[in-house]
Amino acid sequence: MRASFIGAVAFVAGLVLAGLPADAETIRFGGILPLTGPGALIGTAEMRGVQFAVDQANAKGGIRGNQIDVLFEDNQAKPDQSILSFNKLTDLQHVSVIFTGYSGPTLAMAPLATRKKVLLVNAGAQADGLAKASPYLINTLPTIGGEIEVISQWAVSAGKKKAGILFENGAAGMAGRDDYLKSFADAGGSIVAQEASQFGQTDFRPALLKIADAKPDIMLVVITAGLLQMAQEYKQLDLKFTVAGTTFFADPTVIADPAATGFVHTQLQIDAPPDLAAQFKAKYGADMEFFAKQYYNAAQIILITLDKVLADKKSVSGETMHDALFEIRKFQGLIPLEFKTNTASVPMDINVMKDGKDVLLKEVKLQ
Amino acid sequence: MLALQLLATGLVTGCALGVVAISFSLVYATTKIFHVAHAGIYTMGGYLAWSMVMYGVPFLIALLVAMVACTAAGALIQNQLYARLERRRATHLVVLIASLGALAVIQNIIAAVYTPNILQFPVNWSSRMMAFGPVRLNYTQVLTIVVSLLAYGATMLFAHRTILGKRIRAVASNPMLAGITRLQPQTVYVYVIAIASALVCLPGVLVPLDLGLQPYNGVTPLLTATIAMIAGGVGSITGAFVLSVGIAVVQNLSLLVMPGEWSIGVTFFIFVIFMLFRPTGLFAAR
Amino acid sequence: MDFLFSYIVLAEIYVLLGLSTNLLVGIAGIFSVSQAAVFGVGAYLVAHFMMAADPLSFIPSMLIAAACCVALNILVTLPSLRVSGDYFVVTSFGIQLLATAVFTNWAQGTGGANGLPGIPPPDLFGWPVETTGRYVLLCTLFAGLGCLAFWLIMRAPFGRLVRAIREDETAVAAAGKNVLRAKVSAAALAGAFAGTAGGLYATFLSFIDPSSFDLDASILLLTMVVVGGARTLAGSVIGPFLLLALPQLLTLVDIPTTIAAAARQLIYGLLLIVFMLFRPQGLAGERL
Repeated sequence: MRASFIGAVAFVAGLVLAGLPADAETIRFGGILPLTGPGALIGTAEMRGVQFAVDQANAKGGIRGNQIDVLFEDNQAKPDQSILSFNKLTDLQHVSVIFTGYSGPTLAMAPLATRKKVLLVNAGAQADGLAKASPYLINTLPTIGGEIEVISQWAVSAGKKKAGILFENGAAGMAGRDDYLKSFADAGGSIVAQEASQFGQTDFRPALLKIADAKPDIMLVVITAGLLQMAQEYKQLDLKFTVAGTTFFADPTVIADPAATGFVHTQLQIDAPPDLAAQFKAKYGADMEFFAKQYYNAAQIILITLDKVLADKKSVSGETMHDALFEIRKFQGLIPLEFKTNTASVPMDINVMKDGKDVLLKEVKLQ
Repeated sequence: MLALQLLATGLVTGCALGVVAISFSLVYATTKIFHVAHAGIYTMGGYLAWSMVMYGVPFLIALLVAMVACTAAGALIQNQLYARLERRRATHLVVLIASLGALAVIQNIIAAVYTPNILQFPVNWSSRMMAFGPVRLNYTQVLTIVVSLLAYGATMLFAHRTILGKRIRAVASNPMLAGITRLQPQTVYVYVIAIASALVCLPGVLVPLDLGLQPYNGVTPLLTATIAMIAGGVGSITGAFVLSVGIAVVQNLSLLVMPGEWSIGVTFFIFVIFMLFRPTGLFAAR
Repeated sequence: MDFLFSYIVLAEIYVLLGLSTNLLVGIAGIFSVSQAAVFGVGAYLVAHFMMAADPLSFIPSMLIAAACCVALNILVTLPSLRVSGDYFVVTSFGIQLLATAVFTNWAQGTGGANGLPGIPPPDLFGWPVETTGRYVLLCTLFAGLGCLAFWLIMRAPFGRLVRAIREDETAVAAAGKNVLRAKVSAAALAGAFAGTAGGLYATFLSFIDPSSFDLDASILLLTMVVVGGARTLAGSVIGPFLLLALPQLLTLVDIPTTIAAAARQLIYGLLLIVFMLFRPQGLAGERL
């Protein structure tokens, strides 16, 4: 009995220790991202983007002399783990800002963010529900609906009026599908087929074949992983329709692959200067792809905001950060963006992939 | 046309799955261990072969070396983990949880070493196409069918024509008696898992050659293969293989009549109903 | 305090699930790997009734959900009467995957993969449970009731009967006991526990999606029961508390961030192996 009591005390002490701040000089932010499991691919890129921006700031002496530390928690893209991590970061580490990704976990944390006045920063998930989930949730990229509207209008105006949808059987994919169903019809086109692929699976052949069978002019794609494999399977099956998608298409390995020639996609303007991308690659051995850039950009926004809060001699809290962010409103990170609402509006391009390069087709101005 | 092409891709998936199923069936029928870590061996084989190909080793040699490595890893798991648990008279549930632990270890070593990114084999012949009438398949897919059928044939020959094969079947049918007659079940178990690990390395390399490597991608095939094995009748190599092909083909062809997001659900629904009416499987040994 | 409280709340919800799994797997010997599916149905039902155009309050929603889960759990464990042992395990796998497919794809009913946001907090006879602190009280009440019920049953003749079935079903039947009724009763009780846990989970998180009720969740439940100790009340309590804390405790281990998460999962796997090798009966279990 005694031993088990001591065990229990040690256990609780460990739990509390698990979250005690290490030292008082640094300012702490949190990150709750899927770092293991099938979502780890994107989650890791997102983590690196944030870490990279913060490391750069720290190397330059920090923000007004304060070093920044980001504590990452692995939520495996699950809502309950996210809640635990959220409470841990806010209670024990008193973080004021938390970077998140993935729609489900973010939606689960949104009510808590409102209640505890902690700023949630999403730079990856694009589900439409995120736009209004919480006043304390800011999205540094538009929800997927905006991009889908643009690509739908382009497709119909280019005479591609019959479309098939290939979507991933997950939150992002289903939200995208619903947006396509609406936007494409609004633009005057018709959807002739819609097929799902399983999240984490790279065998798209059955879905591609069935879509091809409906003879569409264009295939609208909403998947978050395996695009390169999809492109190669599309090529191997000798399919002829145009393939179109959103910013997710801008994966350097896909653009470089001849199989993706002719793929059209909207592209939120975000570009890393070559030397920055090279530094990133040298540090992590991976390309600075879309999500890494987005989170780098989001981290910069937060650092700029932090600078303002500190300049105003306010204490750093979710509330002051939130207010400062909306006071600044217009940011110039990797891209110019503006917060008219919680969701940033960002200029957009329509690109087509050609000979291993992404070529500009049309520029869409900031609304 | 659509039906034919769907049938062909279903056959490819099914054959690869079939090898997973017969390898798992060998282990399960003999040792009665729910060897979930087998999914880890499957994934490991692909990554090892990928590393070697990256360093310029010819594909065939990489495949063979990966098979040897998988064999060793499988034998190690039996020898160091399952045999110890057996000596401690652990129940099925305990062995299952330990096996899950081993799976987590293998998968996460891979994820830590190789990152969770989808990796592609740097070989250029894998995606060349062949046309069979209206059906188009790439070299890897054709190779998968051929190798899987050969693996099936070899396993059948091995189980029925060799001394070790007969010894394995003897142990599978009555471990107690086999123990008394000095067939040494524990030694046989090591052989069985070693052989099964070499076998599962084949689809473990060939499937990612076509579709890319991911560290957490071994579980789904293993689960589907398990279901094929049970529905086919435990202990029946033919049953496991045929049912695997059947399940994959049905999943593919089901697209003709319903939306793809339901195909997995419907497959399992049919399976559950099937189990209620024929609980010992289609090819059950009498 | 919210961190500790939310940990306690989630652990207590998992205690109910642990009791449910322990009743089926540990005691009645019905090796089910689909408890997360029943848990999910409970969660979705409570969410549905509390968010309906004409919403029900918390207690009636919970009662209906529990009743439905009783029926459902009897239905999904029915195959165990017909197929036994490993065959049932795989049938149960199938049921779990089928349930996940329904949660993910039946968008009108479950919100699909997007999940259901905005589930209102519970209200106990006009006492709103909004803070995490109050939630601890609510969940402790339910978990306490669950534990009490489990303890009473294990002491009653019924408990001995169910345990005897696990040891030797044929002998029990031969002794003139009604095996069918005993199994169905165990399944019913397990269903009620799982459904209640689902309702608490949905209202606590205010958001549910299929990822909480998948095969991984079912396996986590089994692991909790085995690590805690099968067939005992203490085991069903210790397992969830320990396994939910483990990922948090593992963050104490300092590892370079790029591989930290995978390394922690790896340690988790190693711990499972070591544990099964050296204490297979669990922390507080009878020898399996």
